Amino acid sequence: MRLRPHVIVFLAPAVVVYTALMILPLIGTLNLALFSRAPDGGAVFSGLRNFATLFGDPRWSGAFWNALANNAWFFLIHMLVQNPVGIMLAALLSSPRLRMAAFYRTAIFVPTILSFVIVGFVWKLILSPIWGIAPGMLDAVGLKALFAPWLGKEEYALTALALISVWQFVGIPMMLIYAALLSIPDTVIEAAEMDGVTGWSQFWKIKLPLILPSIGIVSILTFVGNFNAFDLIYVAQGALAGPDFSTDILGTFLYRTFFGFQLQIGDPHMGAAIATAMFAIILLGVCIYLFAVQSRMRRYEF
Amino acid sequence: MGALSLGNVTKSFGKNRVIQGVDLQVQDGEFCVFVGPSGCGKSTLLRMIAGLEDVTSGDVVLDGVRINDLAPARRGLAMVFQTYALYPHLTVRDNMGLALKQAGVSRDEIRRATDRAASMLALEPCMDRQPAELSGGQRQRVAIGRAIVRRPKLFLFDEPLSNLDAALRVQTRIEIARLHRDLGATMIYVTHDQVEAMTLADRIVVLRAGRIEQVGPPMELYRNPANTFVAGFIGSPQMNFLRAGPLGLASHTLGVRPEHLALSRESGRITGRISHVEMLGSETLVYVRSDDHGLLTVRLFGQHDYHVDEPVFVTPDDAHTFHFDSEGLRLR
Repeated sequence: MRLRPHVIVFLAPAVVVYTALMILPLIGTLNLALFSRAPDGGAVFSGLRNFATLFGDPRWSGAFWNALANNAWFFLIHMLVQNPVGIMLAALLSSPRLRMAAFYRTAIFVPTILSFVIVGFVWKLILSPIWGIAPGMLDAVGLKALFAPWLGKEEYALTALALISVWQFVGIPMMLIYAALLSIPDTVIEAAEMDGVTGWSQFWKIKLPLILPSIGIVSILTFVGNFNAFDLIYVAQGALAGPDFSTDILGTFLYRTFFGFQLQIGDPHMGAAIATAMFAIILLGVCIYLFAVQSRMRRYEF
Repeated sequence: MGALSLGNVTKSFGKNRVIQGVDLQVQDGEFCVFVGPSGCGKSTLLRMIAGLEDVTSGDVVLDGVRINDLAPARRGLAMVFQTYALYPHLTVRDNMGLALKQAGVSRDEIRRATDRAASMLALEPCMDRQPAELSGGQRQRVAIGRAIVRRPKLFLFDEPLSNLDAALRVQTRIEIARLHRDLGATMIYVTHDQVEAMTLADRIVVLRAGRIEQVGPPMELYRNPANTFVAGFIGSPQMNFLRAGPLGLASHTLGVRPEHLALSRESGRITGRISHVEMLGSETLVYVRSDDHGLLTVRLFGQHDYHVDEPVFVTPDDAHTFHFDSEGLRLR
């Protein structure tokens, strides 16, 4: 097809905006990662030396792998808790016998629109061993022995934050899966009823296979969202992602490196190298999903 | 086995009563067709028999067992839906075998049952395909196969041909009739198409506004309609209704089928003007507008050379007329 002038005119706004806001900054970041700070304050071209430092220097690479491992755990918690719970809630919501479904739907979705700052701060208050309400509430049901200062212990802090994030965002998989469940025609469900496929077996044998494409979308959104995460950790634990970096994920690691924090001086070049690595990780994940998973999945027409 | 009996069955949605006390006996092996215009409650009645809708009051009895409160799958019946309602993620074989698998039937048994159904419906080449790879007609045959596999006492068909194109509709209709002969099972079939009703049914149940208007074999309904509604619904093109007064008759309405109106250029009892002509080759339909009776349809066999706006005379054949009173009830 010949590229006619009006086609170019119509495409131009999107191309210009996308280029200005996405492509140029991306190229700028990649470019920035290839320079180092010179003693006189300027920048000198240093090729891939920043990456060599990031992966070769024991201190840098230790911090990087720690952040990546934490990030993977953060993602795993979301996949194992947020998405199954979201699917379960959607299944419950789509049950015709449930009363006040609209209320539950809204109530569960509301945290999603709250600011990270509020969520992080509120949960810090709730879980605080000194003035939080969590110890008191556990005490009221006789489970005070279970309480621990979860956000302050290295072994629990990351899991606790991941669960807080799950609490905040469980509404998103719920809504997407709910929409997918609603799109299954009633007659298919009625045919299943006639065939004696009811209750749980109906969910496993009929509904779940039909919402699998939506579960795929939810998974990849979770992956991208988690590997870009930063705000909640920053609000709850600060840029040092304590205790002892146990909640440090790629986003907080990037922030500290790029802008500096307390005694650490910001280094835009090393920061850009970390940002590039994050970009590569997410790109790899999305590619694996698109080529290995999505291409094998089919959307069903009813 | 498969004798169904409905005893004063009603259905209400809130205050809205859509089925107004239906009594019906369907004999074992009978092909019974529910017809009626949209919203007459025919599909609702079928879904109540299936167990997909609760019965508000009355008894649904299959082979002497009251099945009102049984789960759909435990009633021993199978349903074919208008939209096929196949499971899109399963192959044709798995679609047909799912009910048996769920009931814990052995793998070999399921294989035998699905193969048997496939050979009855000429579906053998498609058994390992998914529904998306099939044509509309094939999909509907799979849906029928899914019902056959379960060996139900009663088959329920909910407008199964409505989503098919005209040629396929005739073909599938013949197939369903053949299936009924081969299986000898009881079938209840819902349609709004009176041609399907006439060609398939042993007995037709004409419904209007949640009530049975008349029950009987197709030719019985055609020859002896109980009221103007049944008379107008059975037979195509529709029966003409003439006002009896201007014709000097005692009844209120005179019903004449289009083939029993004679058309003439010279003389006749009703004067009118041709408003439209439809030539079908084997027959010609002439629409005549008369001042006293409105638009009348005249059906002539063969090809006739009539033109729009021609003045003509129409005469009913007195041997083939139906008289109705002011309530629309047949006077005999």
